[in-house]
Amino acid sequence: MKKILIAISLFLSFNLAQAQDLVKKIPSNAFTVATIKGDNVFKLMFVKDFNESFLGKKLLTETSKSLDKSFTSIEDFGINLEKNMYYFNQLSDSITYNCFLIPIKDVTKFESLINNKENKFKKDGDVRTMILPDSTSIIKWNNNMMYFVTGSISSAFFADSAKSARYGIKDIRFQNDDAIANDSTAVAVDSVAVEETMAEAVPAPPVAKVNVQKKSTVKKNTKKTTSKKKKALKKKIPLKPQYQRDNDVVATVDDASIDTASAMTPVHGIVDEQYDAYQQERLEQDAKKKRLAFTWMTAQADQIFNGTYESIENNKSYTASLDNKAIAELWVSSLQDVYSAISPEFGAYGKAGLMKGYGSLNAKLFMDDKSFRISTGLELSQEQADSYKKIMNRKLNKNFLKYVNSEKALGFMSYSIDTKAYLEEFPKLLKQTYGSILGGKMDEEIELGSDLFSLLLDEEAVSKVIKGDALFVINGLNTKDVTYTTYEYDDDYKQKEIVKTKKETLPDFLFMFSSEDNRLINKLIKYGVNKNYVSVENNIYKILEKKSPIDIYFMIKDGIVFFGNSLTEMQGISNNQYNSNKLSKLHKQLLSKNNFSFLFNAKNLVGKVPDSEIGGEETAKKFNSTLEKMGNVYMKSNPIKGRLVSADISAEIPNGHENALKYLFSLIENAAK
Amino acid sequence: MNLKQFYRLLLFIVLIPILSSCFEVIEEIAMKNDGTGDVVLTINLSQSKTKVASVMLLDSVQGYKVPSKQKIQQELNEAVAYLRKSEGISNVKSTSDFNNYIATISFSFKDVSNINNITKNILAQQKIKATNTSSYSYNKATKTFSRKYQATGTAKTEFNKLKAKDKAVFNGATYTSIYRFESVVTSSTNPASNVSKSKKAVMLKSSIMDLINGKINVSNSIQLSK
Repeated sequence: MKKILIAISLFLSFNLAQAQDLVKKIPSNAFTVATIKGDNVFKLMFVKDFNESFLGKKLLTETSKSLDKSFTSIEDFGINLEKNMYYFNQLSDSITYNCFLIPIKDVTKFESLINNKENKFKKDGDVRTMILPDSTSIIKWNNNMMYFVTGSISSAFFADSAKSARYGIKDIRFQNDDAIANDSTAVAVDSVAVEETMAEAVPAPPVAKVNVQKKSTVKKNTKKTTSKKKKALKKKIPLKPQYQRDNDVVATVDDASIDTASAMTPVHGIVDEQYDAYQQERLEQDAKKKRLAFTWMTAQADQIFNGTYESIENNKSYTASLDNKAIAELWVSSLQDVYSAISPEFGAYGKAGLMKGYGSLNAKLFMDDKSFRISTGLELSQEQADSYKKIMNRKLNKNFLKYVNSEKALGFMSYSIDTKAYLEEFPKLLKQTYGSILGGKMDEEIELGSDLFSLLLDEEAVSKVIKGDALFVINGLNTKDVTYTTYEYDDDYKQKEIVKTKKETLPDFLFMFSSEDNRLINKLIKYGVNKNYVSVENNIYKILEKKSPIDIYFMIKDGIVFFGNSLTEMQGISNNQYNSNKLSKLHKQLLSKNNFSFLFNAKNLVGKVPDSEIGGEETAKKFNSTLEKMGNVYMKSNPIKGRLVSADISAEIPNGHENALKYLFSLIENAAK
Repeated sequence: MNLKQFYRLLLFIVLIPILSSCFEVIEEIAMKNDGTGDVVLTINLSQSKTKVASVMLLDSVQGYKVPSKQKIQQELNEAVAYLRKSEGISNVKSTSDFNNYIATISFSFKDVSNINNITKNILAQQKIKATNTSSYSYNKATKTFSRKYQATGTAKTEFNKLKAKDKAVFNGATYTSIYRFESVVTSSTNPASNVSKSKKAVMLKSSIMDLINGKINVSNSIQLSK
């Protein structure tokens, strides 16, 4: 069992695929879908190269060893490496299924991989089934695909006595005391009945359909039913997946026995005995839950193999998230739905829409001859997307670009938003996000707060002082002399205090933001000067802060407020002598096209920091060699498309490597050495 | 982001080149022939003052809370108050220089053994477990000054538990001990120690890393001419 799991997880860590294939088998209500695209992976690296790589060798020898067989290629596993492999899960309030869909090329090879003495599989026509020991997971396969499912029962669901009673399961608590003893017989009898029924008529796995029309309230029925058996029979649900939400089923519940039980007070003295009984009962109930989970899993697996149902291919949000160049993809359906399905316990919050306004989430991994790239996206509600569009409607001040020196820059960070729009939209966004927590009762107060906010702030005026775009750049390192006190000892070892100087390397930073209306800032400066917080020379101000280890200067020029720690740089800017025109194409694009950008260029740091400051020659060597291997790392936000906000993180690979995947493998190999 | 937060962010960036820093710990004991003497303890962080000043502006660094200037001063005062109450100790003084980050404590003793438990107790007061056993003695009859030092194994194991980043703090740190006498030194048993030209002082310099790792033992037995 363990070996098989290891093998499966190992396969999944690499992998394979093509769009038209197994995706059909994924139900449209899957919550998460993860794909590894075999064809794209093995375009970057031939199977042969993989087998010969450090990781490949390790995988093959380990699998060979653990299965006592001899594998020479990952193709020996019988998996179709040119197709997509999938992981998906389905959530409901009662059970979570974790499922893998793996394409098969050579079923004989695959069977020899998983077959062993302890685990025989059953064959039913074309379809083979293997139940893993402990009945916690099922593997099913035919000549083209393998399906693995494992399910876990939600304890929260069965803590609800009304719901669990429908499956002959009782939520027991130790306090129930003698009630347990009384009840247990009843339950035992009852459970047999239920199991029989269920064996005959397997209830469809109660998977909550994402867009299911929820019937608002659970019908609370305190009426005593006469027979539990009858109730169980009543639950016969056709095999066809109906995605019943159990709220829809009118639960006629025998709450009475449990209610009475919990009302009883424990009788002390026989506690130990009762505890044993309780433990026994608990085990029985757990076993029952496990059997139920297994029944559901079996039905779910059969459904995947033989049933007809709507596939995820018809889910627009999913299909829109795909990119045929990605080598791996992840899609998570609407956060709001996830939230309410995973935590029904949160009840009110989840259902009232705490995550309201947030739709599905996706992430894609790309690797090519230049870089690794992870692209993430989040769907917003139309309202929210509109708000964000207004806020993002600003470009970085073009004049900022003069002050970035790509040849020396260690990194930068920029952002640009429309302050006015932000201040106007902010109360709306706040209301959308938190309104539901506070509940309908607070609506008026929120409204009032929003209005008050707008009244107090003159958005227009504020946006003139701080337009909303800013750039922080580190244009290299600078060495400066620093004095320090130490001691000298004479012939008599008498201590003499002396002052020495040493060189210290500090990054030169520059921070700037646009401002049209300088009146307020000028007043602040005047105040600072009068109070001796600030000194001034040639329009360059210095912050007089004794505690500060670095000097900070600032000035206002051409509608830009500058802050920096290098007087030379500030003077250069002031005299229009700042050496610009050294902006690379990549940097220019990042800065001018995106609302948010971040870049770190490790190479410009190599050898710039003296060894003594990093902690010795050896550390410095390691430090520098790590930096040398790093290309540019950068992040950027993309423009909002429709309702989708997205951002990319990229890491360039150093020259001399064919592509990012091969580079990754070489990194792993180096790390393992 | 208010200005203070911005300032802190800045400092973090300035601090990028890891917190390896240099500091000196100096212990100076001047023994008189009659067995009384003076001690000056100095801790000098001046070489790292840019970093210390930056760290002082932060609330915590690498997961450790950064004490405020007031807190440091207060603890120094507590140590002084404790010393004043200690047996055989007199003339206790302390100095602190928060521009160069140098602090000293000085005091006189009746007998050098008076100071044996002091360090340990001060550390205990600050809830720091002493990581070594160190004792001084002076035999007036034989005119022998000796220091017995035993690094406890725990120092090394505790130190090894630290993250590499935190260990780096100790990389450039040094420990210096100077013993001064009225009589001429005839022998000093510790091979790492040096006797001054005047033969009236003994100095031992070591890196704190070597001390922690037990590479250097500061035990010494110094014989004075009779």
